[in-house]
Amino acid sequence: MTVSGAAGNFSARVSSWRSSLAVSEESLQETVARFSFLFLLIAALGTLVVVLLMVAREAYPVLFSRSGLWGLLITESWEPLSEPAQLGVRHAWISTLAVTTIALSLAVPLGFGIGIFIAEIAPAAIKEALQPCLELLAGIPSVVYGFFGYVTLVPWFETSFEMATGESLLAAGLILAVMIVPFVASTSAEALGAVPGDVKEAALALGVNRCWMTTRVLVRHAAPGMFAAVALGLGRALGETLAVLMLAGNSVALPASPLDRGQPITALIITELGEAGVGSPKQEALFAAALVLMVVIVAVNTLIGRLKRRMLHGRV
Amino acid sequence: MAAFDLSLRAERAHLWQDRVFIAVAWSLGLLGFVLPVSIVVFLFYRGAGAISLDLLWQSPRGFPLGASGGIRPAIEGSLALVILGLAVSLPLAVGGAVYLTEYSASDRLRRAASFCAECLAGVPAIIYGLFGYSFLVVFLQMRISLLAGGITLGLVMLPIILIGAYEALRAVEEKYRETGLALGVSRIYVFRRNIWPKARAGVLAAVVLAAGHAFGSAAPVLLTASVVMSKGGLDLSSPVMTLPTHLYYLVSEASSLEQAYATALILVLLLLAANFSVMRSKSRRQR
Repeated sequence: MTVSGAAGNFSARVSSWRSSLAVSEESLQETVARFSFLFLLIAALGTLVVVLLMVAREAYPVLFSRSGLWGLLITESWEPLSEPAQLGVRHAWISTLAVTTIALSLAVPLGFGIGIFIAEIAPAAIKEALQPCLELLAGIPSVVYGFFGYVTLVPWFETSFEMATGESLLAAGLILAVMIVPFVASTSAEALGAVPGDVKEAALALGVNRCWMTTRVLVRHAAPGMFAAVALGLGRALGETLAVLMLAGNSVALPASPLDRGQPITALIITELGEAGVGSPKQEALFAAALVLMVVIVAVNTLIGRLKRRMLHGRV
Repeated sequence: MAAFDLSLRAERAHLWQDRVFIAVAWSLGLLGFVLPVSIVVFLFYRGAGAISLDLLWQSPRGFPLGASGGIRPAIEGSLALVILGLAVSLPLAVGGAVYLTEYSASDRLRRAASFCAECLAGVPAIIYGLFGYSFLVVFLQMRISLLAGGITLGLVMLPIILIGAYEALRAVEEKYRETGLALGVSRIYVFRRNIWPKARAGVLAAVVLAAGHAFGSAAPVLLTASVVMSKGGLDLSSPVMTLPTHLYYLVSEASSLEQAYATALILVLLLLAANFSVMRSKSRRQR
């Protein structure tokens, strides 16, 4: 072995030692980065879970109160000033249900129609113009919709139905429908667009027209996605606050018809929370109502997740 | 002959069915145009006359309050709330998304986290408002304040940004990660030099979307941060005015419809400008 060979060997060893050092330095930096990103993820999701737990914590004493959950939801009305205070929210959830039903029964056919139009009928240029329009519709804030309904629908109701005040569940439901149409439309368009082309071609090759092909073949293939679109709209409608607050009339009486005034859960919370003492039964009732609403919405979202996954698996 | 007649008739029915179907689809599509455009045009028609420099630069005046004067404190308050909210949510959301796409090896964690985030994005803003009220305002004694409202809006934005950033990062093709890692550089290096430049525009779009949503949302602000009137000047521990809540107060207290139209129009125009900039950057990326 020559001297130069030994030296070369040595320097190779040094460099390999160095590079292994570099690797371990790198991996230190890497470890720091990994754990800080992991920390951020845990903090993000953890914070949000804490939010939900805090709301639940404020709400749970209702379970052990005089009237309990049954009283909250079914038997009692909302009379916080009477003796003893009646703290039931049945008028609120019935209003929420009514407003949501009106909104969905309008927005679902409309949204599906627009979805079919985008996915099947519209030429590319129109499609490209329509999608930003729907995004615009989805981007207008709730309070602006509420204001819009207040200056258009409410006076119109007053004159055409000769109502004392045009604020009603129907007005709130109509505006809510406009608000959720873009969500139903774009989600259903996405679902229809995801149906593989050969299914379509096979149907058309059998000589059916586009109407038949769309309603009997496409829609069935896209059914989970279309259902997810409805669920998305439902979730939005249930949690909508400002528009229904401004349009539903904020009355604690039990609504009997769509033309009556009502007070959806969200509107009840905004209206009453400021006047509820901290830790009072009234505040607990409001938080419990919110918790019920949230549980329903999370259930609906879980459903969406399931359906989406099935839509994806159906495609593969 | 009769059979021929029948088939001809069937064919005609067939054709008509198709025509009706297409006509209905076109008219619904047209409605998709007309609805948003008519709402914006209506607001513009009724509100544009009331917009002036005074409106943008002065404080509300008159009786009932807000009947005249400007809405400057409301614009400032809205911006301050959203910026504060972004300061809270941006690091958490983007950092969390980076962990999911760049570091996590578990597909299960990824699915669970994104499912969680989607659920949380579906939780209505008023629930976050309730948390802000009971925890920040009452328990931590922040009172109704800019700070409490900013943190609450941050929570509203958090899941939206997390999902958007996650999707944007995931949209960067896997090969950029693999080639980088195959060359022996660290994941953080791959992320900084390969992934982030490609995903940046998408993440930004998600942030603007979430910020726009927070900018227009009134329910959590009503519970944690807003007052009918403030003299302007921002202080973390004092309440603020915001555009959406100002609009709400103007309507519910029947102060001034003219001012309400102007406020609504400015709110919509600001959000439109933000959305438009996102759309432009998106379409530029696609080209």
